[in-house]
Amino acid sequence: MLHILGLLFWLVVIPLCIGLIPANFISADKRNPGFVMLAGYFVMWAVFEVTTIPMVLFVKYDNFKVASVCFTVISILCAITGLGLMFRNRKRQGPSLFLGSLDTEGQRYDTSVRSVARVVGHVRTMSPAERIEWLLFFALLGFQLYKAAAYASFDGDDAYYVVESLIAQQADVMYRILPYTGRPTDLDVRHVLAVFPMWIAYVASKSGIHATIVSHLVIPLVIIPLGYLIHYEIGKALFCEGVLRRSAGDADDILHKENLPIFMILMGLFQIFGNVSIYTNETFFLTRTWQGKAVAGSLVIPALFWMFLWIYDNAAGNHPEGSGHKRHADAGLWILFVCVNMTAGICSSIAVFLVCVLMALTALCLAVVRRDYKVIIKMGAVCIPNVIYMAIYVMISSGYLLK
Amino acid sequence: MWGIFLESVVIFKNYMGFYENGYLAGIYLFALLYLWLTEKNKQRRAVFVYAPTLLLVMFFCPLFRKAFVRILDDSETYYRLLWLLQMSLVSAYGIIRLCGRHRRIGLAVMCVAIAACGNYVYDSEYITRAENAYHLPQEAIDIVDLIEPEEGRITVLVPADLIYYVRQYSTNIELPYGREMLVSRWDYYHAMYEAMEKAEVIETESFTELTRTYPCSYVVLKEDRKTEEPLTEYGFILYDRVGEYLIYKDTKTAD
Repeated sequence: MLHILGLLFWLVVIPLCIGLIPANFISADKRNPGFVMLAGYFVMWAVFEVTTIPMVLFVKYDNFKVASVCFTVISILCAITGLGLMFRNRKRQGPSLFLGSLDTEGQRYDTSVRSVARVVGHVRTMSPAERIEWLLFFALLGFQLYKAAAYASFDGDDAYYVVESLIAQQADVMYRILPYTGRPTDLDVRHVLAVFPMWIAYVASKSGIHATIVSHLVIPLVIIPLGYLIHYEIGKALFCEGVLRRSAGDADDILHKENLPIFMILMGLFQIFGNVSIYTNETFFLTRTWQGKAVAGSLVIPALFWMFLWIYDNAAGNHPEGSGHKRHADAGLWILFVCVNMTAGICSSIAVFLVCVLMALTALCLAVVRRDYKVIIKMGAVCIPNVIYMAIYVMISSGYLLK
Repeated sequence: MWGIFLESVVIFKNYMGFYENGYLAGIYLFALLYLWLTEKNKQRRAVFVYAPTLLLVMFFCPLFRKAFVRILDDSETYYRLLWLLQMSLVSAYGIIRLCGRHRRIGLAVMCVAIAACGNYVYDSEYITRAENAYHLPQEAIDIVDLIEPEEGRITVLVPADLIYYVRQYSTNIELPYGREMLVSRWDYYHAMYEAMEKAEVIETESFTELTRTYPCSYVVLKEDRKTEEPLTEYGFILYDRVGEYLIYKDTKTAD
């Protein structure tokens, strides 16, 4: 029982509390528990990156123990800050950080979970076909979760990543023991900066559950729903956020809330049938869910698309350009954007490069279509942590940082 | 340059599963083309049309591939660049846009198309029903439970099919060699591996000498593994048996 409570605390409570920080800096109409949870995870992973990598590089003995203490302190402080912001907000009678504000305009279609009553009310307003579609999607999701829990997926890389987690849990050491054999080893530049296995080890240590069980059983039950939560947010940005625009005369059929469950079903099917080769991100998502590279392909990269849509899609914002409200609303999104980029770093070193390529290409395209070259500067600034990460990578691989 | 381009084409075909009749890429390319022709929102064109197209051009560009390999010192992961296309996302968006008001018929058609063009992931030979919460073979766990010391670590020699699993269960078990020996393209040499796995019949004398250099407290062999002479004649005892595996304890090195 204590194990389950430990998991719930570190995988649900802490991310939700941390997610309240970026939620405080976005407009109330964008807030919902899904956003708070996703933001919490990305901020938490970014914090994990900055606390753990220095320990890996510069602390030789018991470096996992030291990193765990630091991360525990910082993440709890962040969680307390998030709660503090929520209570401050409540005291000021502002819109809830967790549930967002109730729409007074009544024009914007709202799929957010504002309250239980509101959800029930929302379900009641759905057409029977829409309800069936949502049920179909949840059946697909449930099926994937059942398969993740009841079936084992073999992957040779587990002999490295899962064992790294287990070594950290059992020996309090990060990346100083060769997982394949158990012999002492030098730091391997290809892996030492990608500390996702250490986060799994951290969850395992805090919950008291064997790291292999956490990797193979618990993490898929967390990562798969998070992946769909990102797709849900993307779907909302694509199909629901533009109702205001539609009512203003844009008769685009795509902007219809009934497209959202269809989008989710299609995404679910693409994951299940995306195994056209062992290389696709869909295959990684369902067969190697606990590995950092799978998280990069199925969480981090889609999250960047989500950010692109939220920040740059016209339909996503309804605040006048340059207004103070918009600047405040944007701040939370930019914080999250930076954290998503940083999360790529804990997933894999290559993911950092990939993310930079995507950011550069998209920034270029957005700058051209918007005729706004500040986009490149802003998105370049978001990539600064990635540049620092790559600089550390190059310094280690060329022997300047660690001799 | 032409050779590098052709390599990229092969990587693309492998990724998309063209050699195994996977045609999901067809749906993606169709959706991308449709969005090229119909998407009017500039921002969405940039994110869903222009950026993926530029990325595809870059993927096939030999200079970019050379830069990728030079920077990351790794050519095996070039395919991951295609993750940036987010094919499912772009396909789903393009399909929904194509279906317009005929969403339900479109959904039904696309469900069939995705199932027909894709490959059901749970049919994979690598996915089997889990035998325990660790998602490891039960035999590997049973063997480790039998031999794991209460304190400290021991070195154990196990057959290739257990190498992946033993240390996922307990890091108190060390191995003379690990998974690196099983990936043929990495091309490592290890005398113990040669003696254990490559020899048609294990040469018992030299084999036992090698195991004692680590020293291996236990040797696990499959029951059908042939040895010139029984290990029991060289200071080993048959300690236990788990399924098809025989566990030998070295009386000269084990505690």
